[in-house]
Amino acid sequence: MKYKRTNRAPIPLSELDPGFKSEVIRHEEARGLNVCFSCGTCTAGCPVHVIFPEYSPLKLAKMVQLGMRKDVLGNPFIWYCVTCHNCEHRCPQNVKFFNILTVLKNMAAREGYSPASWVEQTQQIMQTGMIFPKRGKWEQRREALTLPEIKGDGTKAKRLVKLTGIDKIKARIES
Amino acid sequence: MKDYALFLGCTTPTQVLQYELASRWVCKELGIKLIDMEDFVCCGFNQAHLSQEAGLLLAAMNLAYAEESGLDVLTLCAACAGQLAESIERLKNQETRDKINQKLKTLGLEYKGETGVKHISRVLYEDIGIAKIKEKIKIDLSHLRVAPHYGCHYLKPESALGGLDDPDNPKSLHQLVSAAGAKPVPYEGLHLCCGGKSYPVSEEMAFYLVKKKLDNVMARKADCLVVQCQTCYLMYSGLQREINERFTKGYHLPILLYPQLLGLAMGGDPKNELGLDFNTISSHELLAKAGINRMI
Repeated sequence: MKYKRTNRAPIPLSELDPGFKSEVIRHEEARGLNVCFSCGTCTAGCPVHVIFPEYSPLKLAKMVQLGMRKDVLGNPFIWYCVTCHNCEHRCPQNVKFFNILTVLKNMAAREGYSPASWVEQTQQIMQTGMIFPKRGKWEQRREALTLPEIKGDGTKAKRLVKLTGIDKIKARIES
Repeated sequence: MKDYALFLGCTTPTQVLQYELASRWVCKELGIKLIDMEDFVCCGFNQAHLSQEAGLLLAAMNLAYAEESGLDVLTLCAACAGQLAESIERLKNQETRDKINQKLKTLGLEYKGETGVKHISRVLYEDIGIAKIKEKIKIDLSHLRVAPHYGCHYLKPESALGGLDDPDNPKSLHQLVSAAGAKPVPYEGLHLCCGGKSYPVSEEMAFYLVKKKLDNVMARKADCLVVQCQTCYLMYSGLQREINERFTKGYHLPILLYPQLLGLAMGGDPKNELGLDFNTISSHELLAKAGINRMI
């Protein structure tokens, strides 16, 4: 592949949020950011990065450290992670990037950046307790195979997850 | 052999019924008693991305119900096993556990931290053991070249899985394939993720990852790919069909769930006991090669 130089505009320093990093590492699971020495092993092992070079765990970590709040939380690529755990498994500093990303996604979700599919799943769990609709062809298939009936009652799950406010999370409006 | 609370998860009981069928049959034959639990809900893996607390609560709710019944959990899905195992680790922290239990109280539940979780392949590998499995083999599958696919969550995060296998150089599924009498085939990209998580957000990435795996496995002339998670199964078989329809024709690689392969070797009925006729990619050639003609 031929190297192509991209002329990226400089980051406008006035738009940085100096408190962003501390807001992130206030969550214990994201503390690893403090010991990251930017070797890039996480990105080298990331299957998403192979297809979308814009997605890079190292770059995201740097962006958090610089305080690029909106560019991180509003970045659609944070939802592209395939959750393979390669980044944290291979990290020489034992930084759990997977957990850092979860913290970032949790923050992004609260600010209305979640993709619709995740929000729909929450709705399903509150209905059936599971990520599947109440009725479907599978019911007859299970019966034909004499597999036990599944009640699919989400009452208890709903009571529980509502305590976390997850039911209030709105999906990102696709533009 | 001890009893387990069967954790079906969300996808298997609705979309990959053959995995459930074959798992129940294999466990019954090997003397593993599976208890169905009415109160089990989603493991919380996906919801943790929106709210770590909600994910942990759902996991803890399941663990608490299993604990009430005095049972450890057996999962079919690798991600459920990973999520529950990671949650057990998180809930070892007293402060976290107190916080979660405070909320579980609304359902009259408490999680004390006594329940364990194992994926079905792990139960076969550790509880039953390779030697015992070999004793149960009735059908010779030695002509079959089988490519194993572990699945990311089966091996990682290592910290929550207590020395199950080496994620960099895993051996357990290779050994399970050998125990069933088939020949494990090496191929490039053993660690490559199925991309299941990416499918709702990027088809491009999902197709790329699936195609790459299929190309690598088919280059080694394997008769099938064996997986141990229904998401990996759906990606490699469902998208294989779509690749044939939309892009390049000529992909034909049967995808089997491990209990289906083991079940064949143990003399299970391919259709009624192992649900092979439900598999998207036909396994007729594979069965013919193994000399099993009952389904055709």
